[in-house]
Amino acid sequence: MLTILAINVILSIGGSLVILNVVPKFRDMFVKAHLSGVDLNKINKPEIPEAAGVISSCIFLIVMFMFIPFPFSQHFFNKQWGFPHQEFVQFIAALLSICCMVLLGFADDVLNLKWRHKLLLPTVASLPLLMVYYTNFNSTTIIIPKPLRFLLGHDLDLSALYYIYMGMLAVFCTNAINIYAGVNGLEVGQSAVIAGSLILFNVIELNGDCWSTHLFSLYFMIPFFFTSLSLYQFNKYPARVFVGDTFCYFSGMTVAVVAILGHFSKTALLFFIPQIANFVFSLPQLFHLFPCPRHRLPRLNEKTGYLDPSVFQFKDKSLSTLGRLVLKTYQLLGLVKVEEAEKDGELFQSTNCTLINLALQLTGPKHEKTLAAGLIILQVMCSGLAFIIRDSNSSLLRRYRTLYTYAIDVNIIMPNLLAKYFE
Amino acid sequence: MWTILAVNVILSIGGSCAILNVVPKFRDMFIKAHLSGVDLNKKNRPEIPEATGVISSCIFLIVMFIFIPFPFSKHFFNKEWGFPHQEFVQFIAALLSICCMVLLGFADDVLNLKWRHKLLLPTVASLPLLMVYYTNFNSTTIIIPKPLRILLGHDMDLSALYYVYMGMLAVFCTNAINIYAGVNGLEVGQSAVIAGSLILFNVIELNGDCWSNHLFSLYFMIPFFFTSLSLYQYNKYPARVFVGDTFCYFSGMTVAVVAILGHFSKTALLFFIPQIANFVFSLPQLFHLLPCPRHRLPRLNEKTGYLDPSVFQFKEKSLSTLGHLVLKIYQLLGLVKVEHAEKDGHLSQSTNCTLINLALKLMGPKHEKTLAAGLIVLQVMCSGLAFIIRYPLASLFYDC
Repeated sequence: MLTILAINVILSIGGSLVILNVVPKFRDMFVKAHLSGVDLNKINKPEIPEAAGVISSCIFLIVMFMFIPFPFSQHFFNKQWGFPHQEFVQFIAALLSICCMVLLGFADDVLNLKWRHKLLLPTVASLPLLMVYYTNFNSTTIIIPKPLRFLLGHDLDLSALYYIYMGMLAVFCTNAINIYAGVNGLEVGQSAVIAGSLILFNVIELNGDCWSTHLFSLYFMIPFFFTSLSLYQFNKYPARVFVGDTFCYFSGMTVAVVAILGHFSKTALLFFIPQIANFVFSLPQLFHLFPCPRHRLPRLNEKTGYLDPSVFQFKDKSLSTLGRLVLKTYQLLGLVKVEEAEKDGELFQSTNCTLINLALQLTGPKHEKTLAAGLIILQVMCSGLAFIIRDSNSSLLRRYRTLYTYAIDVNIIMPNLLAKYFE
Repeated sequence: MWTILAVNVILSIGGSCAILNVVPKFRDMFIKAHLSGVDLNKKNRPEIPEATGVISSCIFLIVMFIFIPFPFSKHFFNKEWGFPHQEFVQFIAALLSICCMVLLGFADDVLNLKWRHKLLLPTVASLPLLMVYYTNFNSTTIIIPKPLRILLGHDMDLSALYYVYMGMLAVFCTNAINIYAGVNGLEVGQSAVIAGSLILFNVIELNGDCWSNHLFSLYFMIPFFFTSLSLYQYNKYPARVFVGDTFCYFSGMTVAVVAILGHFSKTALLFFIPQIANFVFSLPQLFHLLPCPRHRLPRLNEKTGYLDPSVFQFKEKSLSTLGHLVLKIYQLLGLVKVEHAEKDGHLSQSTNCTLINLALKLMGPKHEKTLAAGLIVLQVMCSGLAFIIRYPLASLFYDC
């Protein structure tokens, strides 16, 4: 097992070196192909290659292709248990989902598809995974915790709902990363932290019962982590490339894939606390309760060289009652700063509802480099929090489990009342 | 079995209707994204969306994704033999190779990668297939044709060479289709004919020993055929879209994949006779023995409205001895028409070494629509020839 992991690490490092080597060479090609964006937060507003995520994604795929024989070669797997057919097909199906996502993501970057497509594309890309899951297991039954059994029965077949949940997971992860962006290095940085946290989590769980699913997850997360680190070298402040939607799609899908196949999607979501917070905070703007400008990233104050929170403008009349209520709530909680845009009292402005703007509002104007570093430290801290939550939850689960086994001995020790409640 | 095939056909038809519906809606998006090319053979030189092969490829992939449970659902397969694990993983690996090829092909169309990349990309995309093959079978033994058995024995283990052969098959198929192009509808048309021929071949072989391989191939070829037919509606003369390298890569890889997994690569290559002939004919230009212009497609004669063969120009001195020799042989065989320079400093010219130019040279100038139709008829006739070679003659070479 450790040999296979070692090979995975070696291939991943090889891949990351290739990325470091190759990305500068593609610069001109990308700019010539009109795949470029303006860095709005620099004084000279330079034009920078966009969608460079496709390069790191392809290198990731090549590393995975070369890695395919190793976990499944007859020299490596445990012969007692026979050839691990289901894991093999899941491995290839996972790669198919990721590859399809990179294709659709790159097409989105090139063709500038509409917003509704951003919800459709990850669903399409997760189809292979869902289909293989259906064909392999078709196990959509969840075990009901004992106290709820008198309500719901011993187990509940979620069937179609479970597939919808799996599909939605991919849509959520990709878009949550996509909207938590706008500062050099943030997309890649947050993905690297999430990957690193998942690797740590998987390594810890290698000693547990479900070690094989966590090993499977490591096969994907390790190359993802290393390739993201390399891309980060070019995307961090001052950015020489932009990663594009391609990278956000790739990133979200890879995490969703390991979370689904590893059956630890709830823990994976714990590592997405900043993304979830940003998403919930953004909801009013995403649903157009408030105006939603094209770009909500912080804007550069040309005099100080620091970033200020960006704003959206609105007329008080044009907001719906619900919009006004939500804005008031946000204002009371100190999440946004509302002020008059003009003296006549008609036009107001409020800071945009993103975590990045909130951070700037709380800490004051900051240099882009400091802001980016700060947000990544926030991501690390939230991962730490996630570990604490999970650990306390699992000790809760352990107490629960003790209660289960305690309940089995119930008819020996406890009277019938308790026996009736716990079965 | 027939139920599953019926489901496949229904999904394929659904996919082809989706393509007919969706391609016009993407026109503006492609042009805005600078994915467009000039139709050089029309008088007004219109700008037409390029790389629309990515649309039909994605619809093909979606059809295949939806189809995944059907051949492998426990309701359908033969329970006696147990779950067909190897076929299942091969199915998914084949889709992975095709998907990767479409990704790399689309990146090529967008970024305009260099020629050496055109050889590298299909090799990379065929990696999953090769890796799965290695893990599953690792069977690299080939049966020797009867006449050679006295020399080489009954079979021979090619080991690493077999993998090189499989990798090269993908490279060859993709690029052979790519260079046999330049007339509205030719790339899609030739692919559709090859797919149709393979479908016919597979259906015939369903009654044979290796029926499961051919059934597997049909699962891919049927959607490929229908989606190509739909795209053809937009690419035929007068073309409203260009399919781009994306389609050629997608097409070549899909055929290579079924040929490798179905173990009928030699028969599949028989359906590529025009592509092979065009490739061999083009070799001197591809290897720069003779000058190779950027575009070798026939050129429009603005007065007559017909297409003439295109030419390349050269100075007699600048050709190597081998180049002169090859050109002389081609001239003697009537494959090219050379006009030599009258004086020393002037340029000579010769028709380009492609099958399309040769066809024009033999038949005289033709309208683009007629030429395209003629070349597709040629493809069909060569498929017929392939069937004749395969069936009666095959028993001469092999036992089956």
